[in-house]
Amino acid sequence: MTKTILKAAFGLLVLASLLILPKYVESPYALHMMILLFLSVSQGQSWNILGGYAGQHSVGHAAYFGVGAYATMMLMHTKQIAPWYGVWAGIVIVVVVALAIGSICFRLRGPYFVLASIAVAEILRLSAINLTTLTNGAEGILATELPVFKIGETVITDFLTKVPFYYIGLFLALLTIGVTYWVQHSKLGYYFQAIREDQDAAHSLGIHISVYKNIGLVISAILTSLAGSFYGIYVGFVDPPTVLGLDVSVQIMLICIIGGMGTLWGPVLGSLILVPLSEALRSNMITEGLVKVGLVGADTRVGLFLKENLSHAHVLLYGVLVVLVILFMPDGLMGFVKKLATRRKQEAV
Amino acid sequence: MAVFLQSLISGILIGGVYALIGIGLTLIFGVMRVINFAHGDILMVGMYLTYIIFTMMGVDPFVSVLITFPLMFLFGGFLQKVFINRILNAVAQNQILLTIGLGLIMSNTVMLIFTSDYKILTTSYSSATLQVGGGVSVSTPLLISFLITAAITAALYWFLLKTDTGQAIRATAQDRDAAQLMGINVKRMSIIAFGLGAALAGTAGALISPTYYIFPQVGGVFTLKAFVITVLGGMGSVVGATLGGVLIGITESMSAVYISSGWKDVVVFVLFLLVLLFKPSGLMGKSRT
Amino acid sequence: MRKQLLALGATLALSPCLLAQKIGVINSMSGPEAPIGENITNGIKLAEEDLKKKGFNLQLVWEDDTGKPQISMSAMEKLATRENVAGVVGPYTSACSNAVAKLAEKYKVPLLIPAAAKEEITRQGLKHVFRMNAPADQYASSLIDAATALGRPKTIAFIYENTDFGTSTSKTAKDYVAKKGIQVVADVSYPKGSADYRSTLAQIKSKNPDLVFMVSYVADAILLMRQSKEVGLQPQAFLGAGAGFTTAEFAKERAISEAVISCTQWTDDVSWPGAKDFGTRYKAKFGKEPTYHAACAYASMMIMAETARNAGGDRAKTRDGLKAGKWNGVMGEVKFADYDGFTNQNNHQMLVQQILGGNYETVLPAPFATKKAVYPFPKWK
Repeated sequence: MTKTILKAAFGLLVLASLLILPKYVESPYALHMMILLFLSVSQGQSWNILGGYAGQHSVGHAAYFGVGAYATMMLMHTKQIAPWYGVWAGIVIVVVVALAIGSICFRLRGPYFVLASIAVAEILRLSAINLTTLTNGAEGILATELPVFKIGETVITDFLTKVPFYYIGLFLALLTIGVTYWVQHSKLGYYFQAIREDQDAAHSLGIHISVYKNIGLVISAILTSLAGSFYGIYVGFVDPPTVLGLDVSVQIMLICIIGGMGTLWGPVLGSLILVPLSEALRSNMITEGLVKVGLVGADTRVGLFLKENLSHAHVLLYGVLVVLVILFMPDGLMGFVKKLATRRKQEAV
Repeated sequence: MAVFLQSLISGILIGGVYALIGIGLTLIFGVMRVINFAHGDILMVGMYLTYIIFTMMGVDPFVSVLITFPLMFLFGGFLQKVFINRILNAVAQNQILLTIGLGLIMSNTVMLIFTSDYKILTTSYSSATLQVGGGVSVSTPLLISFLITAAITAALYWFLLKTDTGQAIRATAQDRDAAQLMGINVKRMSIIAFGLGAALAGTAGALISPTYYIFPQVGGVFTLKAFVITVLGGMGSVVGATLGGVLIGITESMSAVYISSGWKDVVVFVLFLLVLLFKPSGLMGKSRT
Repeated sequence: MRKQLLALGATLALSPCLLAQKIGVINSMSGPEAPIGENITNGIKLAEEDLKKKGFNLQLVWEDDTGKPQISMSAMEKLATRENVAGVVGPYTSACSNAVAKLAEKYKVPLLIPAAAKEEITRQGLKHVFRMNAPADQYASSLIDAATALGRPKTIAFIYENTDFGTSTSKTAKDYVAKKGIQVVADVSYPKGSADYRSTLAQIKSKNPDLVFMVSYVADAILLMRQSKEVGLQPQAFLGAGAGFTTAEFAKERAISEAVISCTQWTDDVSWPGAKDFGTRYKAKFGKEPTYHAACAYASMMIMAETARNAGGDRAKTRDGLKAGKWNGVMGEVKFADYDGFTNQNNHQMLVQQILGGNYETVLPAPFATKKAVYPFPKWK
């Protein structure tokens, strides 16, 4: 009992500090990193609903991310429709796309499903390149100015600082966590897990497999498209490789697998590791840190070697991390933590 | 007419190399049920190996296959023994991510060693052609590589059908547990299968290097192509992958002319989805597991 | 002691050289854009060396954008708000430059883009964004002007990679030929990295165009030309736009590259001051030929560092310095001007070159020409 209260208190504390953070942290760089973190959480959590709970490991989530991003940006760019209306259009389109994809891919299982999901996302990417009149092709869509957000006559925000994006990102991350929590604790979640564990058994229990798979897909696709729309308006530029590329799909899946799929906090944990890690590796902060701490001299051969190569090698280290996690923590970090916890409990008994 | 013939011939010839890549992937999938996302990166390693042998020792790329093949076999066996073997019973997405991770390691290690420059391997015959007549021409290096591909494929058929090891590999592919019960050393067969798969991908890399170019991220394109070919032919079917490779070669070449070259990859993926939906066992596959 | 300190203070005040110039670099050092990004890295490294020799106390902050716009934004946020740099050189790709340009304007950090091609970047009226290289439309007009100056082409075929650079270059080229009364007989885009272009080229051959305009940023250029020879495509001229047609590797393939006309931002045989010397030193240091990206990056860093030093590291003064300044170096005369809707754009002179005897020779514009152009394209052997 006290544990639940403690947990709730801790949760509220984190939430409260996230809500007031922009009041105290003015550094746009820090806010930018938080925004990337929120984006990553919502991407991972959206995938988690379909991949983690329903066990349908899509490697084509870039399709929904890209559709959301493109729909919002295209409407804003060509029809001057503000993104907060464009998002709804994005949702409608993404539901149609998801159901079309679902009707193809859900006939297949296991590796075939994975390959089909890749193929569909690639078809969308190539179409975005080739349908130049609709999407502006490989040149992408650039939208610099966001309209001012007003309710009635009151200006809520003009999007000139990072703060509104911070709150949108936070809202999105909380929304996806909330939806996941709801899925986990509703009947839907039980059906999903039944399908994940054994499709045939689930079917014989009278669960409409394809109906529930499609429900899972639609929820997941809508949330991913919201993340895509948010990416579009935040970065202000979309083109086929950055929002529809295969590496976007892999990145989304990676967040869950590193953190732990099918758990509420897995994608959050995954994002908390991947986002800062890739930033630190990319910008050579690790070498700087080692130099500052005094472990490595700045002008020694080791120091120079690290400075020269570590930033080039960050994708390599990323690869090594993936391999290590899969080999030694196949259930992700959450799985690893849980295993440790049960072991401690057993020892205590 | 000349355009049609030209497209057909170059489609078939390029399809031969695709077939080799597909056969390698299908062997790996057949025996281990692992989708190897590092397949294109293994091909890339084969290309760099060819490049080193060519620039350091002056060995012709086509001759260097004799060195590349065994080296890549060892490399594949090593990958299987150290990494893939540990995840044979893991869920599909973990297998995929492991091979993606391995691919990232390969391409980025190569990038650290060779930098990310494009390397061109120029032989005396790189731009040579044979005139067939009727305005149709054939690229000499492509023709040679097609012939070598055909020879390797024939040798592989013989190996799989006639030798004990080959039969053991096929038995493992059909039913892993039954094969184990029959006293087949399944672990060894897996190593051989992955070794062969890597050797074939590496050889394909060697064969296209005189007409293509080499850079660390070259693998991605070929990985996706290999999947399409493998599914088209039926996962695990060597004959199917051979046919699938040639078919994809022709489809690409024809759709570039008669539809549009921007859309040709879409045509390939749509074909892929249609096969998955209407004949999921592929053109030559017997069952889908 | 006190005297010494005072003396030190005096020297510090007197010589701005002693103050470190902190300059940010954003570049694609890993990821799919790394092959080209590396040239920019090398160019900047050479500039760093030269500046240090000149007594600059230069401190470069390197940021990798991995070719992704959102990551390049992270880099810019960090440089602008944490590192306190006087200015930034980079990024390489157009997508990243676009994203970063907006931030540069917001934080009032002078940004000098060395080699991104998209026209819009310097067409948004951004006051803090400068660009060294000529944008994509220049490729089209330079090459087609060259062809019409050398012969009387009536038809043209386009084959271009379906990337941002490929589509925007060919788009402006199509508009340009329409004005010149040249008819477009084929208009084909291809996915970068295909192994087989023969069927497409055979189809173009059947239309018998006078000019073949190709856009390739990478080694596809070699494949396109090899396969053109294979299928016997024989126009009056092959026009190659993009870096793929201007590499040393391409020129070395003499069987297929001889007499191909291409245009570039820079070449080491041009008479711009220091160009030849830059080429020799670059080759000695990195063991390969410099590309125009390297030269653009070198010149950008030299200019940024010099301006930042004169401005004492102040961002506003550095911006004003860039706007007002005029330089003459490896990239020829550089001035960031406002014209034709562009802001702070260096109106760079593109060079049209042709491969003759295995070497790039500048054939146009006349003041820079080293050889006379060969036209029409000789029969394939």
